[in-house]
Amino acid sequence: MTMTLREEGERPGQIKIVFFPYGKREWFKKGISIFDAAKALGIDLSSLCGGKGTCGKCKVKIEGGMEALNALTEQELKHITEEEMKTGYRLACQAIPTTTVSVYVPERSRIGKQRLQTAGLEVPVKKLNPFVRKYFVKLPKPTLHDIRADEDRLLDALNAEYRLPTDLELDFEADWAVTAVKWKNKIIDIEPANTSDRCFGFAVDVGTTKLAGFLVNLNTGKVVAVAARMNPQIPLGEEVMSRISHQMLEGQKGIEELQTAAVSGVNEMIEECCEKANVKTDEIYELCFVGNTAMQLCLLGIYGRYVAFAPYPPVRRRGVNIRANNIGLVSHPRANAYHAPVIGGFVGADNVAVILATRMLDSDEICLALDIGTNTEIDLGNKDLVMVDSCASGPAFEGMQIKHGMRAATGAIERVSIDPETLETNYRTIEDKPPVGLCGSALVDVPAELLKAGLIDLTGKFVSEMAKETDRLRRGPKGIWEFVLVPQPKTATDTDIIVTQGDIRELQKAKAAMRTGAGLLMKRLGEERNETVTENDISKMFMAGAFGNYIDPENARTIGMYPELPLERVEFVGNIAGTGSRMCLISKEEREYAEKIATTVKYHELAADKDFQKEYMDALYFPHKNLDKYPDTVNLLRRLGHIK
Amino acid sequence: MGKKEEIFERLRQAVILGETEDCAKAAQDAIDAGIDPMKVITEGLSKAMEVVGDKFESKEYFLPEMLLSAEAMYAGLELLLPLLKTEETETKEKIILGVVEGDIHDIGKNIVKAMLTAAGYEVIDLGVDVPTSEFVEKASEEEVGVIAMSTMMTPTLVSIKDIEEQLAKKGLKRKVKTLIGGGTVTEQWRSRVGSDAYGKDAMEAVDKVKMLVEEIKAAVKLMEKKRKNRKQASE
Repeated sequence: MTMTLREEGERPGQIKIVFFPYGKREWFKKGISIFDAAKALGIDLSSLCGGKGTCGKCKVKIEGGMEALNALTEQELKHITEEEMKTGYRLACQAIPTTTVSVYVPERSRIGKQRLQTAGLEVPVKKLNPFVRKYFVKLPKPTLHDIRADEDRLLDALNAEYRLPTDLELDFEADWAVTAVKWKNKIIDIEPANTSDRCFGFAVDVGTTKLAGFLVNLNTGKVVAVAARMNPQIPLGEEVMSRISHQMLEGQKGIEELQTAAVSGVNEMIEECCEKANVKTDEIYELCFVGNTAMQLCLLGIYGRYVAFAPYPPVRRRGVNIRANNIGLVSHPRANAYHAPVIGGFVGADNVAVILATRMLDSDEICLALDIGTNTEIDLGNKDLVMVDSCASGPAFEGMQIKHGMRAATGAIERVSIDPETLETNYRTIEDKPPVGLCGSALVDVPAELLKAGLIDLTGKFVSEMAKETDRLRRGPKGIWEFVLVPQPKTATDTDIIVTQGDIRELQKAKAAMRTGAGLLMKRLGEERNETVTENDISKMFMAGAFGNYIDPENARTIGMYPELPLERVEFVGNIAGTGSRMCLISKEEREYAEKIATTVKYHELAADKDFQKEYMDALYFPHKNLDKYPDTVNLLRRLGHIK
Repeated sequence: MGKKEEIFERLRQAVILGETEDCAKAAQDAIDAGIDPMKVITEGLSKAMEVVGDKFESKEYFLPEMLLSAEAMYAGLELLLPLLKTEETETKEKIILGVVEGDIHDIGKNIVKAMLTAAGYEVIDLGVDVPTSEFVEKASEEEVGVIAMSTMMTPTLVSIKDIEEQLAKKGLKRKVKTLIGGGTVTEQWRSRVGSDAYGKDAMEAVDKVKMLVEEIKAAVKLMEKKRKNRKQASE
């Protein structure tokens, strides 16, 4: 729930350039072109001419501060269309900002690709029973002896052949046709000939940062194509709070901008999937969405101010059904769009989907689920009661506020290890490209490895005496300690890749928030159950979310991101919110179950918990202030000689 | 090292290391030795908190160390404050402090409170999710010059704007100066809503409060001078 758009005011002679969707930002000397700035940060911009303005490959979109650039150059006029001009496109090598600007690098101008994970555990549904069904019938032609209306003729035939009730509502402009498309108790279309084998739905997981879409054959329940996108809302606000602020500051215009952005992202995924699977977009008869509460509001075009103010009430809790084309979704003209129910202001339909797909509300044993994204939702409980809370985690682990942090894109370091003897580093980057920065999974490794190498202590402070052992540990600007992970000649940028004492502090805050979320739920669930809930009582931990799938569970445990459980109890389930979305799409029973989850799961407001400050302070230590909670980790650190 | 200086040093070490019991003990020893309590506060506790603030700025100290030091300081203050002379207590500048309406995150505010207390201000802490009207009422009811308010979240920034508007509407902006801070607050936001100062962290907040208090004093002096001049002119 924290902020991310921290502005640091002005610096004389310098300007700040922010690159989306990477989330990389830096100060530069005035006069630098956007192209050179991108290069300095290791962002791979397409270019054939090397920045002379002749190839026209390095098109970028200026999101904020168009007026803060030089005028279009002659070269640009040859490459930028009028349409692009209107929407803020420039050639990066020609654009020279005079004040702070935000730059969006569109997919086509990128060399490397963002890694977007979509796969999630496959969970069988209780029953394959989609709301949309197709019924092929042959109708008797009207005769002088049979002058029933077309409507009755159809309904009688459906009744005779499929035992459908005869009081179905008809929602179509009548045409002599033979495949009836039914959604719930409505005939929404009559299609010529037998189209009953062409019946599709589209399930979406609307993440704050990432969108995932699944084209599903409703007759079989099987996924036929998958797509993923960065959420196009990012330039309007990096996390949920900034998006709601955008609504508040811009009013109706802002509400519409956010909605249009989300819908355009979903439509792109629909078109991509349809092309891959050779499906027509109007063969999609229903869409199912799961998103956090703010994403639900942004998608449906609802004003979210009150969700952002304590005590954070959601606006619409129940599942919502609307006609998809009312909000501009590409699909059958009468397709239904269903948004699954939400639990609270900070626990949305995506978390309902997690509980649904992990089946933790059916479990005898107590389970813990961590869905790590920009926000992390934490669920704890079993069939008797599941409790949930949420905390901000993303900003730091998505690379925000971290000196050399970045999202998981080409060239991002995704794994780091430090040799405790030589204090030399080993690392692996995405697609094995020269390193550009550090993405979330490496940001979990870094503090764990520093700790195991004795370079930081349990409070997170760099151990200054270690500077005698290695040149990598040094004092940076203002005398603040930093550690060199990759020295410059080996990086794709023009600096060393380092981790600063300030970075460690940010990571401590993020990991402590998650640990506090789990710790306080254990306490409160224990109170509800009239027994203590300890690590031993947790039979399973589901690690969910795209980020969760890439992190090293042992390192995450070493830094105390979650309670110390045996590693074999940790199960990686990937994008399980997407799984839950698909389950709701293809099964009426699952959808009813989702509605039940939203009313029975108990929401716990973390920031209002009387023990929050104490728990959080204890959790800021590595792995925790109370070392008794981490016996295995303590043993390891003791063997390495870092704890006496 | 004199006995006095030795006790001060013990006090400072206790605060810097966040040792609550040691701090209380050293404060009691200072009292028993008959040292001026005001001096014990300024030479011992306040100096130590300055060191703690510096360590926090250089990232050597983090939130837990900071709060432990604050706790130690409060343990000392608890013994020393009741012994201050009336005029010493009365001349203390009062600062109203709170987290604005709609936000309940208060760790940052608590640190600011500790630093302001250490710097010798009397802090009136209104807590979290403080209704806009309460800030305004409190400011007019108490003889207060500075309101310090914070928020960590982006949407609740508007609550700061609401407070500024209310203060202006009630004609309080001349008497009352405002300081804002917290995770999402920026210098840009300050100039947009017309707050008087922005502190990027607890240490800067203290400097800015000092500055605002001086400004208020200067303004009061100027007003008195003008009044005197008017009086003379009318005579």
